[in-house]
Amino acid sequence: MGDDPGLGDTGVKAEGLVKIFKDKKRGQVRAVDDVSFEAHPGEVFGLLGINGAGKTTTLRMLSTMLKPTSGDASVCGFSVTRQGTEVRRNIGFMSTATSLYGRLTAREMVVYFGKLNRMHPDKIEKRMKVLFELFDMNEFADTRCDKLSTGMKQKVSIVRTVLHDPQVMIFDEPTAGLDVLTSRTIVDFVRQCRIEKKCVIFSTHIMDEVDKLCDRVGLIHNGKLLACEPIEDLKSYTDSGRVEDAFVKIVEAKS
Amino acid sequence: MNSAWTVFRKELLDVMRDRRTLLFMLVIPTLSIPVLMWITSGAMTHFLEKLAKEKVDVLVLGQQHDPKLVDELRQRSNPEKAGNRLAKVLEQYGLGEKELALVKGEGKEAFVRLLKKKNVDPKEFIGKVMDSVNARDFDATASNIATQAFPPNFRIITKLDRHPDLSPDDDDYKDVLLNAVRTDEIAAVVEIPKDSMKKIKDEDTTRITIRYLETSDRSTMALKGLKRIFKSMSKRMAIERIKAHGLPEGFAAPIEIRAERLPGPGLLVKLMSQFLPYMILIFSFLGALYPAIDLGAGEKERGTLETLLVAPVSRLSLVLGKFGVVLTAALVSSLLATVSLAISLQAGFLSDLSVLSGEAFSFSATEAITAIVMIIPISCIFSALLLALSIFAKSFKEGQAYASPLQMIIILPALVSILPGVKLDWMTASIPIVNVSLALKEIFTGNLDQHWAHMALIFISTAVVAGLLLWFAAWWFRREQVLFRS
Ligand SMILES: Nc1ncnc2c1ncn2[C@@H]1O[C@H](COP(=O)(O)OP(=O)(O)OP(=O)(O)O)[C@@H](O)[C@H]1O
Ligand SMILES: [Mg+2]
Repeated sequence: MGDDPGLGDTGVKAEGLVKIFKDKKRGQVRAVDDVSFEAHPGEVFGLLGINGAGKTTTLRMLSTMLKPTSGDASVCGFSVTRQGTEVRRNIGFMSTATSLYGRLTAREMVVYFGKLNRMHPDKIEKRMKVLFELFDMNEFADTRCDKLSTGMKQKVSIVRTVLHDPQVMIFDEPTAGLDVLTSRTIVDFVRQCRIEKKCVIFSTHIMDEVDKLCDRVGLIHNGKLLACEPIEDLKSYTDSGRVEDAFVKIVEAKS
Repeated sequence: MNSAWTVFRKELLDVMRDRRTLLFMLVIPTLSIPVLMWITSGAMTHFLEKLAKEKVDVLVLGQQHDPKLVDELRQRSNPEKAGNRLAKVLEQYGLGEKELALVKGEGKEAFVRLLKKKNVDPKEFIGKVMDSVNARDFDATASNIATQAFPPNFRIITKLDRHPDLSPDDDDYKDVLLNAVRTDEIAAVVEIPKDSMKKIKDEDTTRITIRYLETSDRSTMALKGLKRIFKSMSKRMAIERIKAHGLPEGFAAPIEIRAERLPGPGLLVKLMSQFLPYMILIFSFLGALYPAIDLGAGEKERGTLETLLVAPVSRLSLVLGKFGVVLTAALVSSLLATVSLAISLQAGFLSDLSVLSGEAFSFSATEAITAIVMIIPISCIFSALLLALSIFAKSFKEGQAYASPLQMIIILPALVSILPGVKLDWMTASIPIVNVSLALKEIFTGNLDQHWAHMALIFISTAVVAGLLLWFAAWWFRREQVLFRS
């Protein structure tokens, strides 16, 4: 791992993250087992793994929803174990499990999260106007969220996530279950984040998405990070040059 | 704290847009009491009227032993023959059974108030009533008017269709009777003793047996009616005997009593102080129930919990904001129930009652404030408990499943205010929920002055428990095992 001195203040650095769940039926589950990686600003870091690999658990620890059993991570220089509120102020988190409040309108939803982020009301208004314009959302800004289509909901979620202009964006399988066009909105948005020099962490089990989007990839399996390298290096693992083949090869070799 | 306020305002808005919460917080507490009262009073009146109007059969055995006595019984148990001039007078003044039920057992004053409410001149009415019953003293008659105006309605029969020869000496005598009463063939049985006529002639006492069935309403009503008839027959005979001996009329009645209620808290206050505490506690709980489930389990079910948890807000602020909304709902709901009960009692079927007793249900500022001060901490307990349960649950359904047993645990101690004779003392003051229920009862009865020490104890202990539970809810909300249950 590189030891870029300025990294800690703008990116994400996970060091030996471990999460053990106590499950009634399965006993102790090592959902995440000694995971370390770095993600830099202006870079999309992909977390690739099959169902149950430990992606969600890792990202939940990064966003302070779960406490690591051991290890730590820093987000923009703040520790996820000791400086939870500061970490959360600097991240935008979006997943299939971050739904909207159905009884609030799109605008109320966005304003609420602006307030929770301690933004000034004028600033919320200004930023909301820009973002609603950008995503072409003015038509349904005052419609209750439960009446919106999935695509519209995704847009509201994106605005909710970036309203406070966080430096680190964390996406947990954001395109799961979405149609081509709606996923496209998200993919475009992730690219936009890279242009804006944000640090993006993106988890998925879709190999193509990794290929399309990510600069560097962390390969996670059974809670262990099996590889962590630039996408080009990963693809050169096999003759075919496909991510999928590389994934299978690495998993078979290391487990 | 700023964020707790932000959370509070958003959750309040959210919850107010939920029809179920509105239903439980606003509509049910407001409407359930008047509707319940309307239905029960309507149903009661209906069934009582039906029972009263129904002509039931009474079997008289041993008619041959005293035909004259049975004749008089027959006369008196037939409303048309009993020929009631009194009933006609009452009808003329628009006094039905319902109004008379109100003044039953009351003295002259109650009548005067009732008549004034109907804009009737009491003097003229009293004159006509006394004329119709040949009474001299209205005060003595007043309490009996209702009973006299509506005599029982019996058909006297002397044998059973299927057992024409039944006699008290038969082995299966009681079994046959039991069967006949059970099947509603007859309502009761009157046994005239063999020596009845002789005993009466000898100015002695004849012993008549009435057989009835405790579990049958027709039968117990018949028993009451028969007792009344025999009592007045007995009185008539006594007066005749006294006159025959040239003694004064009061000879056989050295003592006559009349119960007069003191002015002050009466039936209305009693009812209010019994039902209000129970209502307040139940509606406080019910008002908190839906918002609590919505704000806890609802976040999980709708997948908004993570959205909220990644916001830079402390878990304490989240809990406080949510708790505030649940508590508000509990207080609004119990307040509405109180107002609704007060209005229903004043305006509803008990309005006549309050007019009669000349009382109104009202309380002083001190009493109102003390009541509110007692209600707030217990509502905090309900809110914190329900919120903690709800955040543990993964879905609405699970949340409701946890809340139902809790509801049972709360209803039973809350009911204590309705039980007669349970007083607020140091023992009852230390039982949670029971103590608040009784404290409210004492406040509404007007006994606050005697219970300041109890009130202080109850307030402090309830507030301490409420604080602990709120602290628990906040701690609970920080646990991964609660928020991310698998
Ligand atoms: N709260 C929990 N309690 C117990 N076990 C859990 C909990 N959350 C996750 N796990 C277990 O940890 C392991 C990793 O789960 P995780 O959700 O992180 O996987 P994932 O890579 O996100 O999978 P998917 O692609 O299905 O989302 C799984 O075996 C899962 O069953
Ligand atoms: Mg996942």
